[in-house]
Amino acid sequence: MRLALRELHRRPSRFLVATAILALISMLLIVLGGLLDGLTASSTGALRAQRGQLIVYSSDAENSLVRSRITPDVRREVQRAAGARNVSGLGSVQVGARVPGHGLRDLVPVVLFGYQLAPRQLPDVVPARNEVFADSSLEAQGVRTGMTITLGPARSPVRVIGFLDDSRYSGQGTLWGSLDTWRAVIGANRPSERAGVGVQQALVVQTSGRSASAQAAAIDRATGGATKALTIDQAIQALPGVSAQQTTFNQIIGVTVSIGVLVVALFFALITVERVGLYGVLKAIGASSWTLFVGVVFQALVVALIASAIGVVAGIALDIAIPPGGSIPFSAGAGRLITSTIYLVIAALIGCAFSLRRVLRVDPASAIGGSDV
Amino acid sequence: MHGLRKIYGSGENAVAALDGVDLTVGSDEILALIGPSGSGKTTLCSIAGGLLTPTSGTVIVGDSDISSYSPKQLTEFRRNAVGFVFQTVNLVSFLTARENLLVVDELGPRTRRRARERADQLLDELGLTKRADNLPAELSGGERQRVAIGRALMNEPQLVLFDEPTSALDTHLGDQVVALIRQEMKSRGTAAIIVTHDQRITHYADRVTTIVDGRIIPRTPDLVQ
Amino acid sequence: MLVVAIALLLFLILVQQALRDGLIDAFTGAINRQSAPVLVYSVDGQRTLQGSVITPSLQGTIQSTKGVGESGRIGQSTFTARINGAAKASVALFGYETASVGGPDRLTAGRMPRAPGEAVGSDGEFALGDTVRLAGARSAPVLRVVGLAANAEIQVLPTLFVSWSDYSSWVRAANPDASVVLASAIGVRPSPGTTPQALVQRINAASPEADALTRADAAQKTPGVSSVRSSFEVIFLLFAGVVPLVAGLFFLIITLQKARALTLLRAIGAPAGGLVRSLLIQALMVLGAGIVLGTLIWLPVSQATVGQLSLTFDAGAVLFWAVLLLALGLASALVAARRVLAIDPVEATTGGGGL
Repeated sequence: MRLALRELHRRPSRFLVATAILALISMLLIVLGGLLDGLTASSTGALRAQRGQLIVYSSDAENSLVRSRITPDVRREVQRAAGARNVSGLGSVQVGARVPGHGLRDLVPVVLFGYQLAPRQLPDVVPARNEVFADSSLEAQGVRTGMTITLGPARSPVRVIGFLDDSRYSGQGTLWGSLDTWRAVIGANRPSERAGVGVQQALVVQTSGRSASAQAAAIDRATGGATKALTIDQAIQALPGVSAQQTTFNQIIGVTVSIGVLVVALFFALITVERVGLYGVLKAIGASSWTLFVGVVFQALVVALIASAIGVVAGIALDIAIPPGGSIPFSAGAGRLITSTIYLVIAALIGCAFSLRRVLRVDPASAIGGSDV
Repeated sequence: MHGLRKIYGSGENAVAALDGVDLTVGSDEILALIGPSGSGKTTLCSIAGGLLTPTSGTVIVGDSDISSYSPKQLTEFRRNAVGFVFQTVNLVSFLTARENLLVVDELGPRTRRRARERADQLLDELGLTKRADNLPAELSGGERQRVAIGRALMNEPQLVLFDEPTSALDTHLGDQVVALIRQEMKSRGTAAIIVTHDQRITHYADRVTTIVDGRIIPRTPDLVQ
Repeated sequence: MLVVAIALLLFLILVQQALRDGLIDAFTGAINRQSAPVLVYSVDGQRTLQGSVITPSLQGTIQSTKGVGESGRIGQSTFTARINGAAKASVALFGYETASVGGPDRLTAGRMPRAPGEAVGSDGEFALGDTVRLAGARSAPVLRVVGLAANAEIQVLPTLFVSWSDYSSWVRAANPDASVVLASAIGVRPSPGTTPQALVQRINAASPEADALTRADAAQKTPGVSSVRSSFEVIFLLFAGVVPLVAGLFFLIITLQKARALTLLRAIGAPAGGLVRSLLIQALMVLGAGIVLGTLIWLPVSQATVGQLSLTFDAGAVLFWAVLLLALGLASALVAARRVLAIDPVEATTGGGGL
């Protein structure tokens, strides 16, 4: 191993190419992972911010908030099953917001939520009519506390009274107001989605200690199958595009890792071929194949770790450089950085396993005579 | 070695590199092994050093019968009991002279400090103390050869095998190196087999053996020395 | 081994390309399938049909713009339905007022709807005679598929082209609180003498609420499409970058294994150019074999359907990637060759002092 270390130390240029390529791959892994994390956060913030443990849709909604409709009757049945004070209404509408300072056609797409149970970070008391909290990503669009913005073709005015973090939905910034505000806005701007008195799109339910899945089943039984109660995680997976996004990105990440394996395999195969003479001599003076192979593994590890370090630095730099709430959703969290490093290290380990055969095959007797190797 | 045979290939294509060789080398004897190319001297040397396994026959080095050692056992044997000085590729190019000697310790006993002391001592004996921190590329041909000899002696071997040690050196240097070899071998009482076609070496050897076509040719007395 | 690697890479690239095209088609196919050359959204809609709502006043402004030949309301929404009584599924409805500006422009089977309740379905998910019912105990007209159209999906959903009145009935049945059903967009055909592009500009000038686009632009500029394109671009770049890496390293290994023989040849006078040429020819054969193999594997697979995406064999794409991979592979083989030929024959044959 010391031999391997010395070679790295004295002949760094030999490993430069592999390190550079792996650093690129590490950066790719972190960028891809960061994009995925950013996109996911950007789609699911609103759900993750909920204090309740269950979301109840109408069973005909196919788990889509927009298609879901809970009438007062159904809500009563749910309240009987879960306890009235544990059940709150939720509504949403997607509109274009006109923010002062933006051009005539430059609308900010937002999702307005009407709620009863305050999401985390918001005070328990629901805002007054036409007052809303805004997701902090909207600050990048020029939204400020106290500002009045208008929503939709009907130009419904709402006043921003504060901000909260990480509550985006469907890749858009969100506004949070009372159910009354929501009903007014949706009625004025999307008449075909209008909600009558007491009607909401979904219910947020707190389970108060009871098992979430048991409570969900109980609710669906109580409504005779008119509802579909999901845990927040299930609701997130059901969001259109979320699981598809995750699958696509993880596929790409998988391919990238495989490329990493390939690069390491080929590179170390190359190095081994070049070193056949050296290995012959070392074996002749008593080095076991295992010792030599451990040296190769060690070098692969060092190269992978250095490459990962470069990738991590690049990732953090990118995270700082990209403004939050901008057009590129990117989030290089510690988890993602660690995961990417682990992937690269594993790729390096698998990659150099392919050189094992070559190392084993080197014949110590070839060292004598100095003839064709 | 007794009744040594080494056959490559099989059936009609079988080639006997060694065909019934008997050879004994004293525990502090220097043997010069002379023969034309293809005579099997390299094969003989390889078997003696535990680099090759004979097809049949016995090889005993010191008190170990290595004739049917497994590759793993042979590796250990080479590590502990044998030293090699090869004809061409010898030193690790990215290690200094001293580090090249220490490789032996790193592969085996890992005594670190003791090994370092021994290496420095050897370098001193070989006149290389000033060049101890130089890379092979910075050393002359003669100096490289001396480092190789030092490495061969690091593990205090019972037997050292030299493969054409003077082929790349001029007369004067060659002479120096061989004198050095004799001095080192004798002062330690180590056995040595020197494979060569250089007549000069025979003057420094205790005994000269000729091998042709895989067989030892007995020498008539007046041709020795 | 390189042959298989190249074949696999080419195959994967072609699969991804077809997936991308299939995905984009499934997102916005209906927009290209419907007959109106110009679509007018409301600017609030951010260029998605589902997000767009055309108020009656905006509709009036649009329809009275100079150069408008025909116009008609278009409505689009997603519902939960049962196809032939089977389990619930999501279905998109594309309601049109006037067949020539909003209905499907080309059918692959059957005929256009003539009576209430008749629909044209996307051919990947529907068959002639299928019945589609709105889920839930609500009274909505039962739809019957009388015609099929290709590439007619929207938002990767089974899609039905229906009359405006059927669409409107479904919206009200799904949401009893709905007060009025407004159009998602207005389909417009320019009057003779006006180009679609000119009409787009006039309509946009007529009202800041209007967001008019030609049909092709409307499909291209749907927000989902550009993100799909960018994700796949990353994938393609990755794959294309792998080829020179893999090929180069592979050829480097091979030539280094033959280094001794090669330098010997050079020492006895073989010209460097000849050696390089023979290496390149070998590279060409290996790459060529890989590309041919990859294409052959792709041929049968390209006829398949993945979920709701139908793959197609795009000869142009195959040619493009074949040439690109060949060029990249040869370039890297060249680099490998240069590296080997840089070995000095004299030094190599006499052996240096170190390794």
